[in-house]
Amino acid sequence: MGWMAHVLTWCMCLGLWCQVCEVGLADAALPEYQVKALFLLNFTKYVEWPPIAFAASDTPITIGLSGESKLGEALKSVVAGKTIAGRAIVIRQVESPEELSQCHILFISGAESSRYRQIIDKISALPILTVGEDAAFAQNGGIINFVLKNGNVRLEIDLSAAKKAGLTISSRLLAVADVVKGKAD
Amino acid sequence: MKISIFRPSPIWKWILAGAGWGLLLTATLAKTADTNQPAKSSSDLTDMTLEQLVNVKVTSVAKEQTDLFTSPAAISVVTSDDIRRLGIASLPEALRLVPGMDVAQINANEWAVSTRGFNAEFGRDLLVLLDGRTVYTPGSSGVYWDSQDVVMEDLDRIEIIRGPGATLWGANAVDGVINVISKSAKDTQGLLLSGSAGSVDQDSVTVRYGGELATNLYYRVYAKRSDLSDYIDTSGKSAGDAWNSSMGGFRADWEPPSHNVLTLQGDYYYNETVQSIEQVSLAPPAAYSVRQSEYDQGGNILGRWTRNFSDSGQMTLQTYYDHVEQNTGFGIEYLNTYDIDLQDRFSLGSWNDFVWGTGYRYQAVDDSPTFELTWTPQTQHIRLFNIFGQDDIKVVPDRLHLILGTKLEDNSLIRWEAEPNGRLLWTPTENQTVWAAVSRAARTPSLFELDSRLNAVAFQPPPPSPPALVSIFGDQNNTAEKLLAYEVGYRVAPVKNLSFDVTGFYNVYQNLLIAVPNPTVIETSPSPTHLLISSTYLNAGSGDTYGVELSSQWRVVDNWRLTASYSWLGTRLAPESDYAQSPQQQFQIRSYLDLPCHLELNGAIYLVGRSTGPLATGFDEIPSYVRADLGLIWSPRQWWEVGIWGQNLLQSEHLEFSSQETPALTDVPRSVLGKVTVRF
Repeated sequence: MGWMAHVLTWCMCLGLWCQVCEVGLADAALPEYQVKALFLLNFTKYVEWPPIAFAASDTPITIGLSGESKLGEALKSVVAGKTIAGRAIVIRQVESPEELSQCHILFISGAESSRYRQIIDKISALPILTVGEDAAFAQNGGIINFVLKNGNVRLEIDLSAAKKAGLTISSRLLAVADVVKGKAD
Repeated sequence: MKISIFRPSPIWKWILAGAGWGLLLTATLAKTADTNQPAKSSSDLTDMTLEQLVNVKVTSVAKEQTDLFTSPAAISVVTSDDIRRLGIASLPEALRLVPGMDVAQINANEWAVSTRGFNAEFGRDLLVLLDGRTVYTPGSSGVYWDSQDVVMEDLDRIEIIRGPGATLWGANAVDGVINVISKSAKDTQGLLLSGSAGSVDQDSVTVRYGGELATNLYYRVYAKRSDLSDYIDTSGKSAGDAWNSSMGGFRADWEPPSHNVLTLQGDYYYNETVQSIEQVSLAPPAAYSVRQSEYDQGGNILGRWTRNFSDSGQMTLQTYYDHVEQNTGFGIEYLNTYDIDLQDRFSLGSWNDFVWGTGYRYQAVDDSPTFELTWTPQTQHIRLFNIFGQDDIKVVPDRLHLILGTKLEDNSLIRWEAEPNGRLLWTPTENQTVWAAVSRAARTPSLFELDSRLNAVAFQPPPPSPPALVSIFGDQNNTAEKLLAYEVGYRVAPVKNLSFDVTGFYNVYQNLLIAVPNPTVIETSPSPTHLLISSTYLNAGSGDTYGVELSSQWRVVDNWRLTASYSWLGTRLAPESDYAQSPQQQFQIRSYLDLPCHLELNGAIYLVGRSTGPLATGFDEIPSYVRADLGLIWSPRQWWEVGIWGQNLLQSEHLEFSSQETPALTDVPRSVLGKVTVRF
């Protein structure tokens, strides 16, 4: 029985130690692409699309990914099984212009920094939330840009571009973002 | 190892255990009830609120990592994570991690750093840049490492290129280039306090604060003070090499959301050391050591404008002023440097990436003469103009690149030098890279090898001979040392979490500067009349070096990484006895293990083969040694962490270097270092 008490005591010590530490987990760092994937999921909740963007009330929300990024895999596990207001979420790697226009959210990775302006020019009037991660993305017609600041992912929003696309961005999302262009109504 | 623990009697044990399990249960329940805490699993992460998301710290896979894998040069990077995990407190110690790099600590305040041979206190073939500012000193052609302190927490990375980098970096980038790159002020926001103390008194305190002055205009200011105590020399006495350093500085970055980045930064430092100085006299003839308090100080200010063009072009304009007052052991050397550089990178069609640049540097070096060391002229003006161009031609897109370029450099000391290179890069598949390079590089003779006279030793031969003086002269007709280097490299990542890197090189040196003996003559001045036994630095040496450098990185599991490297070096230099022998073989293995509860266990073992100083000067052989470091870091919260490291754990002390410039042999001791870091 003696050894058992020892094992139990050590398990307890280990357990207590982990409990004490566990509190700190909120502080744990996450991979950059995972945080961005979580933001994309949140955008589906805090952005309102015009009715014409969806064929039916259960038409899924399509998130298109342009350019190579580790974000795709993370996004798949983040949205797995999630529905937003009765809509499923579909993720699609997009290449052709036709595919672009079928998206509700289009994430353009940093690997596309040389040609994202051409993409935006093509779709800026369509109800598509363009999201990027290039330094001047939100200055060049993109709607939401991820910027790294002091080890955090922060958001830049161009409200005039959102308006042009017919999208409404909730005040909750605006509260945590920097509006770089346009004004909230 | 036997661990003794508190052994309570059986009844107390059960009561304690009961209480413990009770506590554990309560804690678990309390935690479950606390719904504000986002938990670890991926499904729960999706419950994180927007407010939590903007505040979570992120870890990034740097773009450089993929660039490194497909680079046509022997390049490695020491990251800020490496530095933090191993508790590294100085730049030369950080360079130990680089495959094939020979880092030897001479004493508490001096290091010898070199690669691919020519191990010397002034690692003469290695160019070192701190945020684009050269710290290579023209007087003795090397780096005073003790004067190159930085805030380790503010370093972004150290990029090391082994082999010539002269086409881009210019003269003296012969055997390697070290680029120390600090973080943008944008990434060092908030307050940082860090303090460390060690068993050999490596006490250091750093305060840094970063803020945002206006939208997109970030700044940081810092102050750092370090005190290091004496090491012990090989005879068991205090080596008298204690030193302290005080420094402060700032950096401001303006990063407007256009494509421009403007940087302004500056530092000032003041170091005090106690050093053994060799003194010489003719009446009576003698050479003796004196302990002397020394000080070094310096400051610099640098401005840089980077403009990124959307079509993958980039232009950088940089200028700086640097002032150094360095005690050389023979009085103070004043060095003022003014430098301006322009670099422009652009695409020419879809086949060519072109980079060109030009720069001008003016340096004034002033040494006060002593009996031991005199300079002619006493103040030397060095004017350096360069222009370079390099084209990266995509022969087969994504598969085969040919890189051709050259630098033309006009140094007022030695006139024009051309430093061309040609490189071939083949990426047969996404997980393999093959590269080959032929390059030419030059090392400008140091002012010591051009303009100086060093009276090294005086002694009395048997009478009736007059006293004798042993001197070494520089010669103003000396020209640059030349290197023609052939390199090949192969990188492969057979699976995602394992990669190998192997580089082979063959270096042919010409015009190496060595001290050639002169006939003994009678000299009347300085009086008394004496025998002059002298030698003169001349471009009389030549030879070749060759070697292999292997390294491997293996992510065994998500929270455990291993890095290993091995290097082998062969030298065939003539005359052999005039050169220091670098270790022929080096091996190292590092392990980074993340444990539960925010603990990290990190360790490193270094095996270094034997080395010697130049045989001609009768210096000792340094036996091979094994060095082991082990450290544990606990970071319970994002805002504070504490670490403890044991360094040189295997032996109570060991010798790493014997130097011509610093004759006293000093052991590197075993030490324990503790450090607390707080961030707000």
